[in-house]
Amino acid sequence: MTNCRARVLTVALVLGIGAALAPTARAEDVTLQVWSHEADEPAKVAFREMAARAVEKAHPGVHVKITWYEKNPMYAALKTALPAGQGPDVFYLEPDQTDYITSGYLLPLDDLVKWDNIYDWARAVWIHDGKTWGVPQEAYTNEIYYNKDELKKLGVMLPANAQFGEADFLALIKKVRAEGITPVSQGVGDRPYPGAYIVGESLLHKLGLEDYGKLLKGQLSYKDPRVIAVLTWVKELVDAGAYPKNFMTLKLGESHYYFYQKPGALMFPVGSWFTGRAFVPVDKGGMPENFPLGLMLFPAIDNAACNECKTLGVGASFVVNAATKHKDIAAEFLNAMSTPEMGKRWIETIYLQTAIKTGDVQFTGPYAAYFTELLERQKGEKYFIGMPVDNLEGRCKDAFAQVMNAGFPGGLLTVDKAAAMMDEACLKKN
Amino acid sequence: MASLTPETSLRLRRTPLLVFVFSYTLLTGGPFLWVATMSLRTTAEILANPYAPPTTLHWEKFYEAWVNSNYGTYFRNSAVTVVSAVIIITIIGAMAAHGLARYRFRGARAVRFAILSGMVLPPQLIILSLFQILLGYGLYNSLLGLTLVYVAAHLGMTVYILEGFFAQIPQDLFDAARMDSYGDLEIFWRITLPIGLPAIFTAITLNFIILWNEFLFAVVFLTDDEKRTLPLGIMHFMGSHQLDIGMVATGLMIAIAPILILYAVFSETMIRGMTAGAVR
Amino acid sequence: MSEASPRAEESAAPSGLRVPSFGASVADARRAPPSVILALVGPALFMYLAFTLYPVLRTFWNSVHTIKPHGVEEWVGLKNFAELLTQDPVFWIAVENTVIFTIVATVFDVLGGLLLALCLFVKVPLARFLRVVWFTPVLMSYVVVGVIWVWIFDFDWGTLNTLLRWLGLESLTQSWLGDPRWALWAVMTAHIWKWLGFNMIIFLAALYALPAEVLGAAELDNCGWLAKLVYIIIPMLRPTIVNLLVLSFIGKMMVFDLIWIMTGGGPLWSTETVSTYVYKRAFDWNTFDLGYPSAIAVVWCVIILLFVVLMNRLLRQRDRLEF
Repeated sequence: MTNCRARVLTVALVLGIGAALAPTARAEDVTLQVWSHEADEPAKVAFREMAARAVEKAHPGVHVKITWYEKNPMYAALKTALPAGQGPDVFYLEPDQTDYITSGYLLPLDDLVKWDNIYDWARAVWIHDGKTWGVPQEAYTNEIYYNKDELKKLGVMLPANAQFGEADFLALIKKVRAEGITPVSQGVGDRPYPGAYIVGESLLHKLGLEDYGKLLKGQLSYKDPRVIAVLTWVKELVDAGAYPKNFMTLKLGESHYYFYQKPGALMFPVGSWFTGRAFVPVDKGGMPENFPLGLMLFPAIDNAACNECKTLGVGASFVVNAATKHKDIAAEFLNAMSTPEMGKRWIETIYLQTAIKTGDVQFTGPYAAYFTELLERQKGEKYFIGMPVDNLEGRCKDAFAQVMNAGFPGGLLTVDKAAAMMDEACLKKN
Repeated sequence: MASLTPETSLRLRRTPLLVFVFSYTLLTGGPFLWVATMSLRTTAEILANPYAPPTTLHWEKFYEAWVNSNYGTYFRNSAVTVVSAVIIITIIGAMAAHGLARYRFRGARAVRFAILSGMVLPPQLIILSLFQILLGYGLYNSLLGLTLVYVAAHLGMTVYILEGFFAQIPQDLFDAARMDSYGDLEIFWRITLPIGLPAIFTAITLNFIILWNEFLFAVVFLTDDEKRTLPLGIMHFMGSHQLDIGMVATGLMIAIAPILILYAVFSETMIRGMTAGAVR
Repeated sequence: MSEASPRAEESAAPSGLRVPSFGASVADARRAPPSVILALVGPALFMYLAFTLYPVLRTFWNSVHTIKPHGVEEWVGLKNFAELLTQDPVFWIAVENTVIFTIVATVFDVLGGLLLALCLFVKVPLARFLRVVWFTPVLMSYVVVGVIWVWIFDFDWGTLNTLLRWLGLESLTQSWLGDPRWALWAVMTAHIWKWLGFNMIIFLAALYALPAEVLGAAELDNCGWLAKLVYIIIPMLRPTIVNLLVLSFIGKMMVFDLIWIMTGGGPLWSTETVSTYVYKRAFDWNTFDLGYPSAIAVVWCVIILLFVVLMNRLLRQRDRLEF
């Protein structure tokens, strides 16, 4: 074999393999690319696909393709695709991802979306610089779910306003532990926020809406005596054995199971999107049918500014890529997901609150009692919009995940150490 | 203590050894057996009793993973990408190794340094800029792009192994070939390759194993579900909502299967090849 | 290098030296027209230039810029590096973790591999079967290994704690991956578990390649097995040991996949390594700026290169470890 022929052969081989691997071109009219999270929640998949089909029906020649991801791989993919000018037309985003706005990757939606279908407070979360950047779909409040029968067995009565005081709550924790049951199911194995539910809501109660906001934004020190008082009380809960032994590694899905199946816990602080996972068949990890589910408010703190305050979060939202070539179709898709009918469908199939206005919905079906109780718990509540993670960025967010969410409730840090670490990462130095 | 006969003393010395061997076998084989049993049980069964053997063999889970969860597609993508990459690496790696081992030419040291230095670079160093470049070449989110990245990433190690081996082939053979007026590429084809086969086999095996299991580049460079490779597919079941342990185990088995089959069939040759090439 | 493959013919030349046997044709056999050289080395070189060197240069470029909104790149000179080296405590924690991980895991890996190879070498029963089983973890991907070991370390139903409880040692049960004291060692265990088989196989072949006369002579001199090991086998295996140390070292310095799957760098940064930190800064933090993570990657690469050169100098013995 001569040199020349060998060379040609090699080149041909490489080209051949290249041709086999190259993506085949497809001739299509218009394809709207949508990237969405929540691949493993069939009700949400069905919901969004339904909107996709509605758009396709209204516009022949339009194809809506939804690619389903897990959240972190999706963010990683977006982070590489968008700067390369390659991202999808529409994608899922949560309100804490503000860097997409500041980096100019999103399209303002004020003129594209029918806003009269969306609650104002939900829309407000997405307003920056006077423009609205995302369409909120999902709203939730932070609640404590608990096992009614278990509480009765312990001989403890829930106060009339469904809120225990500091001392009573601590006593309850100790009592439950003495029975050999885990008082609070919680796990931070795969999320940067669950461990901070109790301490976060307690801080909100103590400080009130304005100062809590300041604390999160680094304008108030964690060494403030009010903050220290709350942290000290939470430390007492932790030391009394409030959380499971495998708190640090328990995953979110597992913490659900821990609460209502095995080994069972008394309480489960979580966002009200809890129902999205709980109200599914048991063999898919759902709650047993006759589980005595109750709702209580986060404990009342002594000398608090606002014990009737509660965190309200906006979750799943959708945004439009600033570089999209299909602006109007994208808007169509967003609107298709935001009609009152779709809002009703959201609540009925996904069992979550929504940012979509649904008018007066009569709750029917197996979960009517739950939704009634949920609305009860919302009466008279004042809301702080946004979970802590939605309001933090960069190093402060990382520290929050490691300290307030994991280390401190995990019993690994003292009050002073935790406060010092948080200040170091978050407090704005003039 | 009474004096020990040679036989008993030998046996005594052996017991701790045997205990160690047994324990280590349990440690390496055990987890794998555990995953195998879990792959045939449903998640509910597993959570009820993690260590029980399967009562009913749920073979349908494999079908479900392959078809419903797109494992068939992931498998195909992995196969196409990895096989192509390994073929390309082997060919151009062997050529480069031969060139560096056999010939003296200006700049040889620089070339050797360049290609081998690729081994030392952490993937994080280049991943951030690679996607910009892949886009420039029009290869982002494509299996071809991923394949080329794989080739570049493993060329260094392949050349390292092959060059070391090729250099050991006695010069006499080549001198004799020259005397018989063989062309240069013929020398490569007829002498280096056949003799170097054990080392080449080593390289192929190592590259295949590493690339089949490669995760980081695939996660960053592939965005279409249709293009995902197997390691990404396994992560699919570790969703944010339910940890479907049973299906994860099934997925693991599908991912391990090809390599295990290959290994079971070729273990002798594989090991002989690996050691021949890598031993200095 | 001295333990040549059994297939290569006995060469009169000592290792490393190419003694010409045919005086006149040396020039012939060792030189070739540039076109041939190019054909042989060209493709590999091209891949290197296009997919390795260029990205590296691009990363260096990124590291002295900050990417601002709208994709604008702003020159910041050495600001990223300054910030990294003086104001970033997480980076130094990551470095410390990586160094500990690398050194300890490498030592255990190589020693363990040698130990296992010796076990097989002295012909325990079922040696051939064991050789296959002990090699299996090497074949599994990091995803598989990570998931399996997360299950083993699970607090409630994981194998380790279940075993401890079964032995009545309930008090020793821990949240292995959730406790900053244990997490790094737990991850290390998984990593070593995966790679021991590889080192074992290499050592085994090296052992088989040892000249039998030397071992026989030692036998005659009535050397105890320990003496034989220390004074004869290990020195003769030195090139292999060095080789494996270097390979293992490099691999462990860059460890990412396993840690990412098992702990994600937690708890409390106890398993944060430089590679996980780079990934986090680039993809997890709310920023599109790639300048800073690139700076981290650059610094780390320099450190690795320094270590490799250092190891080369210290351990090299006229061996062909050319980098």
